[in-house]
Amino acid sequence: MTSDNDRRRGLLARLRGRPASRSRGRRRLGAAVRLLAALMLAGGAYTAFAPSVQAQDTPMSSAATDGKALFNESCVSCHGRNAQGVEGRGPSLVGVGSASVEFQVGSGRMPMVRQEAQAPRKPPVFNDDEIRQLGQYIQELGGGPEVPAGEDLHKDGNLAAGGELFRINCSQCHAFGGGGGALSSGKYAPTLKPATDRQIYAAMLSGPQNMPVFGDNQITPEQKADIIAYIQETLNHNQDPGGFNLGRYGPSTEGLAIFLVGIVALVFTTLWIAGKS
Amino acid sequence: MTTTHPGNAGGDQPVDLDDPDLSRFDIVRAGAREDDIEIVHYEPQVVPGSKAERRLSRTVASFFLLTGASATAFLAIYIWWPWEYELGHGGDKWYTPLLGVTLGISLLGIGFGVLTWGKKLLPKEVSVQDRHEGVVNERDRTITGQTMLYMADELGVKRRPLLGVSLLAGLAPVGAVAAAPLVGGLISQPHKNNQMFTTGFAPMEGGQKVRLVREDGRPIRPADISAGGQITVFPGIDHGVSNKYADSPALLIHLRDADALEAREANVRIGHDDFMWGNFAAYSKICTHAGCPASLYEQQTNRLLCPCHQSQFLITDNAKPIFGPASRRLPQLPIFVDDEGYFVATSDYTETVGPDFWERP
Amino acid sequence: MKRRKFEMAAVPGNAARGVDDRFQVATPLRRLLNKVFPDHWSFLLGEIALFSFIVLLLTGVFLTFFFEPAMTEVIYNGSYAPLRGTPMSAAYASSLDITFDVRGGLIMRQMHHWAALLFMAAIVVHMLRVFFTGAFRKPREANWIIGSLLFWVGFLAGFTGYSLPDDGLSGTGLRIASGIMLSIPVIGSWLTSSIFDGEFPGTIIISRFYIAHVLLIPGLLLALIGAHLGLVFKQKHTQWPGPGRTNDNVVGERMFPRYALKQGGFFMVVFGVIALMAGLFQINPIWLFGPYEAWVVSAASQPDWYVMFLDGSTRLMPAWEIYIPIGDGYVIPPLFWPTVVLPGVLVGMSVLYPFIEARRLKDFRSHNLLQRPRDVPARSGLGAMAVTFYLVLALSGANDVIADKFNISLNAMTWGGRIGLLLLPPLAYFVTYRICLGLQQHDREVLAHGVETGIIRRLPDGRFVEVHQPLHREDGELEYVGWVVPKKMNRLGALGPAIRGFFYPIEKPAEAPVSPAPPVDSDTERSEISSGERR
Repeated sequence: MTSDNDRRRGLLARLRGRPASRSRGRRRLGAAVRLLAALMLAGGAYTAFAPSVQAQDTPMSSAATDGKALFNESCVSCHGRNAQGVEGRGPSLVGVGSASVEFQVGSGRMPMVRQEAQAPRKPPVFNDDEIRQLGQYIQELGGGPEVPAGEDLHKDGNLAAGGELFRINCSQCHAFGGGGGALSSGKYAPTLKPATDRQIYAAMLSGPQNMPVFGDNQITPEQKADIIAYIQETLNHNQDPGGFNLGRYGPSTEGLAIFLVGIVALVFTTLWIAGKS
Repeated sequence: MTTTHPGNAGGDQPVDLDDPDLSRFDIVRAGAREDDIEIVHYEPQVVPGSKAERRLSRTVASFFLLTGASATAFLAIYIWWPWEYELGHGGDKWYTPLLGVTLGISLLGIGFGVLTWGKKLLPKEVSVQDRHEGVVNERDRTITGQTMLYMADELGVKRRPLLGVSLLAGLAPVGAVAAAPLVGGLISQPHKNNQMFTTGFAPMEGGQKVRLVREDGRPIRPADISAGGQITVFPGIDHGVSNKYADSPALLIHLRDADALEAREANVRIGHDDFMWGNFAAYSKICTHAGCPASLYEQQTNRLLCPCHQSQFLITDNAKPIFGPASRRLPQLPIFVDDEGYFVATSDYTETVGPDFWERP
Repeated sequence: MKRRKFEMAAVPGNAARGVDDRFQVATPLRRLLNKVFPDHWSFLLGEIALFSFIVLLLTGVFLTFFFEPAMTEVIYNGSYAPLRGTPMSAAYASSLDITFDVRGGLIMRQMHHWAALLFMAAIVVHMLRVFFTGAFRKPREANWIIGSLLFWVGFLAGFTGYSLPDDGLSGTGLRIASGIMLSIPVIGSWLTSSIFDGEFPGTIIISRFYIAHVLLIPGLLLALIGAHLGLVFKQKHTQWPGPGRTNDNVVGERMFPRYALKQGGFFMVVFGVIALMAGLFQINPIWLFGPYEAWVVSAASQPDWYVMFLDGSTRLMPAWEIYIPIGDGYVIPPLFWPTVVLPGVLVGMSVLYPFIEARRLKDFRSHNLLQRPRDVPARSGLGAMAVTFYLVLALSGANDVIADKFNISLNAMTWGGRIGLLLLPPLAYFVTYRICLGLQQHDREVLAHGVETGIIRRLPDGRFVEVHQPLHREDGELEYVGWVVPKKMNRLGALGPAIRGFFYPIEKPAEAPVSPAPPVDSDTERSEISSGERR
């Protein structure tokens, strides 16, 4: 078991970026030692939780073992030993699946810097391999939804079908242009602009934070591809035909523009017309 | 003619227009005087033929030429620029901006050209016009007043009261005739077929219950919605997924165990004992405030937010409004699962769907 | 036959003679050409609205050639791929066609929309000018009322136009409008069902709105604008007080040629600014909202800016429902107050204000001279109060966008708006009142003691004093007449002329500087001006 101090240093170091001096091998070694300690210490606890943790029956894959080490270094303080959750700090991750890890860690929302209404998007702390390892660990711990392989998940998406699904399921929170919107009491639906195919897919599968879950039973993988195609090709990578889009905030910025640009320009003109020459 | 400060002398007599010594400006000034306008200051801004005049003329001319160039560019772009819309990035996205900019520049060119012409090249002047309105012509008032009274006398409405009364009696229905087709044509009974109190979920004739369907018409099984998920559902009838049944859509929510427990208890408190099925609850998607689709479901806090006026409803407490201007719960749709395993509506909503109105209760 | 020589030079003269023989226009035309208009930048604000209205008519006619005001369902098959195959109303499909398949249609649509926003914005700015300078006073009350009506008719024109494309946003707006109509006690359901021909949305509302938007409302607007301009013509424009300006004259330029040229040029500038905005800024991307479906909504669904204050008042309204326990029970929903009663009160207040003020000040004379806002602190305070009230509401109308983009809690924004709506307007009144008095006081001080010269002199007893340049002779005294008081030495000609040029200085020294002399022949005027409030 690592000390509290150790853990914090590990997390901070990751937030700051990778310290160059620490070689991969040494880190592995340290992780292994800590893993061993954690396993020994956690052993007692398992007897109580055993029924809910089926993953113990089969040995973990090596990726999951690595993921567990990473977890114990950076996530355990909030999500608890074996991702059982810590009351008031972080929920249990048993059964959330690798989709959830991929979304939360891949978009930098986890690890959180501090407790607040909602974790904001930021540059990810872990690299893709590490995210995969963490995901594998969580997956093997309790199962759950997984994002299919591949980077481009919207190859054969149908834009029109995706648009219809987007408007009925997504636009009420993420807005017509995918720019996001406010929810109650400081929560918000984030902008979809920086989201990758995999992150959108993972978000639909896992329902992060206050987003409802759109499982494969409700929106099929083909429909998900349609939605992602609509978001990426119509909203994110499509030039607006009518000039600068004013942030796609709807009529509020249009109203601002008519005063700040239109009225201001014309009032200056009136000043010039009526000015003494 | 430089600055002129004419006294009043001669101002009142009309000038002799045939006087050969009279300049055109003299005639203009004399004409202005006839309208009680005194041109008190008239001063050319530029000396004719001066360098300043040539410079300003060049400025104005270049504005006009800019207009010509820009308008030509507009036409060329309008005709030859590839404008057919295609998704993605491309030249067609610049079509509208280019048209706007060239049109704008050409119009601004004329505008500022004309403005410079008027402002810099024409003589400055100060004229004073009398308003005359302070002077009330009492004589005219009396004459007009008397004329009108005379007309009334001649008509003799006072002497012949029958005429006045019968005219009014005749005209009043004529006015009503003008209004009648408009009102009669437009008016529409709001409670025809009890339409304000029923939705597409009302059991069909013969008592057959209506299924809940998705936007593509497929019925829904409980397994289709994950815990923490929601789906917009429609009545599974003809045209159920259309604006014809604008009041019908509901949000079917699969609550988590703990939340569902709370929601069921709340249901029991208000007598909606069997409105939920398992952990599933369905609430009208149409806000009771102004009718927007209240559909921003927060699966952790179980709040439902309406994006139009920010009313917030607590799903675990029978969609009770907890914030914002809405004053009424979202109506709950009683649901169960039929023998084939699909959701159906036990009955129609038990409360009125949509915005409040006077005779709603 | 000998062909008579054709004299080109005589053509205009002969034509003019011919016209006058038949119509006798020489005298009225001379009156028109000679009419004097006072010159001040703030008198050009109303023109912005007039000129945008002309642009609206021009672009609007273009749009009618392609728009199909029908709610029949069609399957879209135009150039915009993401909606191809989607069922939608013919109105929405034709709006998309205007956008993507009519050459130059998008620029026309955007010009029409920007011109509409500018029309309303210019009306408001013009109205503020008229209010703060007291131009609404007798004899111009009727024109003030017409102007207020123009705002509300323009509001209707804007709202009906916003609803026509039948996209997701406009349908949501229409849905709220139906909710507002429903909320009216007693007649609400009858009114709504009559307008929509049954339950919302029905199948006819777009055609009805269309005829209102392209015929009835523009006709009404034209009539009101005609009356508005006719009254300005008949009653002659107000003017600022100043040298030689009295309540009984108009000092300015004759309409032709210079004034008319400036107006014509300004029209082109307004037109040009609208075209530039239409090219540079995308407005109302209807293709992103999709067709209107009653179950679809987007975050940040807002009306255009001139309706936003009503949206704000609706958002801030607490959930107070009035229940009347008679018979089956009746309700007055909370929606009724901020959307029906509030605009009603606002119309009433703006229409009645000239009469209320005249009554309060017991001032029933005709006024053709304007007042500076500082000279009527109570009115300016009220104006500031109204502007603040409006701003709080308008900002609350966009409070979800503000909350989202500035990371503020949405609920906090609502509460902030509620509290701000009660606290800020009185505060604005108080602050404006004090500022007005301060400015007035400073003007009076300069009149009494002179302009600060910036020269510090040491007195024999060691004290330092600043030398002031008096504006009057030893024995004279200047009365406060409500016009600009020079406050800098170069305005007096003592330190060289002020630098000329609008954007950059023109180095050539100016000729005679503006004289601070008191108005000539202004005995009547003095009593006039001092009749305002003074404290």
